[in-house]
Amino acid sequence: MGIEFTQIQRVHADIWDPERDEMLVCVDVHQETHDVRSFTFASVEGKCFKFDAGQYFLFDFPTGSDGEARCYSISSSPHRGNAFTVTVKRVPGGKVSNWLHDNMVPGMTVKGQGPLGHFIRPKVAGTKLLLLSGGSGITPVMSITRDLADSCEPADIVFLHAARTPLDLIFRSELSCLAARMKGLRLQFLPETVVGERAWPGLTGRISSEFLKLAVPDIAERIVMCCGPAPFMAAARSITAALGVPKSNYIEESFDAAVIDEPGLDVEAQPAGKTHQVEFAKQKRTLEVPFDQTVLTAAKRGSVRLPSSCSNGMCGTCKSKLVSGSVEMNHNGGIRQREIDAGMFLPCCSKPLSDLVIDR
Amino acid sequence: MLNRLPSDISALLEARADGHSLPAGLYTREDVFEADIDVFFHKHWICVGLDCDVPEPGDATVVDIGKTSLILLRDDDGEIRVLHNVCRHRGSRLLDAGKTIVSKLVCPYHTWTYELTGELAYAPHMGKDLDKQCHSLKSVNFKSIGGLIYVCLSDNPPEDIANLEQTLIERLAPYDIRNAKIAHQTDVIEDGNWKLTMENNRECYHCSANHPELCVSFVDLDFGFDPETLSPEDRQQAEEHFRLYDERTRAWEADGFPSAAVEQLVDCATNFRIQRLIIAGAGESQTHDATAASSKLLGQMTRKDLGDTHLWGHNSWNHFMGDHAVVAIVIPLSAGRTLVRTKWLVHKDAVEGKDYDFDKLTEVWIATTDQDADLVARSHAGALDPAYQPGPYSRFSETNLDKFAIWYIDRMRAHGY
Repeated sequence: MGIEFTQIQRVHADIWDPERDEMLVCVDVHQETHDVRSFTFASVEGKCFKFDAGQYFLFDFPTGSDGEARCYSISSSPHRGNAFTVTVKRVPGGKVSNWLHDNMVPGMTVKGQGPLGHFIRPKVAGTKLLLLSGGSGITPVMSITRDLADSCEPADIVFLHAARTPLDLIFRSELSCLAARMKGLRLQFLPETVVGERAWPGLTGRISSEFLKLAVPDIAERIVMCCGPAPFMAAARSITAALGVPKSNYIEESFDAAVIDEPGLDVEAQPAGKTHQVEFAKQKRTLEVPFDQTVLTAAKRGSVRLPSSCSNGMCGTCKSKLVSGSVEMNHNGGIRQREIDAGMFLPCCSKPLSDLVIDR
Repeated sequence: MLNRLPSDISALLEARADGHSLPAGLYTREDVFEADIDVFFHKHWICVGLDCDVPEPGDATVVDIGKTSLILLRDDDGEIRVLHNVCRHRGSRLLDAGKTIVSKLVCPYHTWTYELTGELAYAPHMGKDLDKQCHSLKSVNFKSIGGLIYVCLSDNPPEDIANLEQTLIERLAPYDIRNAKIAHQTDVIEDGNWKLTMENNRECYHCSANHPELCVSFVDLDFGFDPETLSPEDRQQAEEHFRLYDERTRAWEADGFPSAAVEQLVDCATNFRIQRLIIAGAGESQTHDATAASSKLLGQMTRKDLGDTHLWGHNSWNHFMGDHAVVAIVIPLSAGRTLVRTKWLVHKDAVEGKDYDFDKLTEVWIATTDQDADLVARSHAGALDPAYQPGPYSRFSETNLDKFAIWYIDRMRAHGY
């Protein structure tokens, strides 16, 4: 397809200049899991990249007339300087991630700026690490692990990765291979459920104090590097603090524009364009509901009949049983806490935070 | 004095012979029933429920009195409210009968929405000029007295409720009925006039023949006996019993528990009687063996030997004991049908099966209430019989019935009948 790799034979290749260079060419697209792909980019001018594991690139993708800027952490090893890789999860309704999955092919050029970011492991020999990741937050800590593997540094790493299901464990086989070779790498996978792999041999669920105590008994002696959806990181922050990890030993990825799309793990960060499947069980109807639309509005637009009146959470006419899923509800006294506790909600003032099933 | 002509009910009131049961028509006629609802259930204080019927904010229960439907609820501030169950739009009922949880009161017809205080909060498609303040739900005069809820549907409620209030607050304080828990409730519909239901409750002449369970703990002598008809042995026992009463009452009162009878039965608007009664046998509670059914005593009670504080109103009877209380509310449904709603109360933290035995708690009054329903149905059927003729009340054991009849006729006349 006409990509010229003459530069790969370079002897004294130029170094990519974060201040001046911007044109990247996609050289590979790789399917990691059912909805995650890795995209590998090289410099159009054949320049070599120097970055630290844990850093990210800011891309300007031509998704619309104005383009869309997005940050993605580098997942590849810094020891491979001729190209870098980012790993992106497809998100229903996710504008950029969908565009990438649907359009990015080898040979396509995009603008990129980087490396950027300070989510970098302490360069002190013998530092014990806990790499803690949720969903597609795995990318920077994967880069760190590949870095340590490639550098042949003695390492003491617990790699703890949480995902929705075993099928969502990104880099699962590669990590297993690395763990078989790296003496100091201990792997812990924690899927929330066993969907897709009934014979999952380990524990399932969300990270908890109990789980971390068992999985990482020496957690208090480790530097924790965490990346994942905001609620995941919030939970990790409080749990590790409670288990004795000093604040100074807890590092989390927090680049502002970075979006980690993980509906199952994420109940707060809601990227633009995101939708959720809302099922009305009795009417046997399912609607795609944008995250910023109330369930009642979506129901009306989708011709699903719900009793309603005030439309602002006061009268309680639309009160419904929420069979599964979670919502952000801003009511005005139309429902009691004990009704909420019993699984009721008001569709007129609730926006979906996940896929929902409603008993209507 | 009156702005209406004496009705033909007046003739029935006139016909009542001193010391005798009421003329049949007063028990059986529909026009009398209508008058009774008006006089005794709209213009007097009646007991309709308990604070602990609605323990938490948002709890609501509907009580229907004649054509009037009331919503008893606890609002967001934890205050009890009693509101008319009539939407201010076109009058639709807001809530169905029974208990429910509400966040707002929403009329199912056109979703007019009211705060739990009764204020109209939202009325769709009525224009901005609708004066919400003029369309609040109508509230009802009510008093929570020691945790019992009395309402008066009239705008001029009788003031002598103050005597009941004063007496009851003091006597019920240790039982903390306000914070008790309703362990069980039954609704029994008796095929009889409400006055027959009340009369039946005001004498224990029938007890020994009909209430084997109740007689274990209840002393029928308490409500009178004819000394002449007792054997010398029984009379000696009766005299001993009343000597014991004097002694017990003095001891209870010395310990700070008011016990002597307080009566306001005739020449008054609000009809009540209260007294601490001795419980027979083991002396603790109205159960099959007169021992307590709940090991967790009511409220701040620390003793099981404080007898049975019984209380009558004209539409209720109550027994407050150390371990539990029984509250019965009487609501007429028609001339010949009467609802008896009985609630069994225990300490709010008492756990069934652990702290109290459900069967032991409820069996005596379930049996007694069923037996009474039969007796009232028999009475009413008899009153409908052309052969019925008012008979004499016992001057020993039915004096309270005579007082009730006198009060009934006085109150009817006071309201223009």
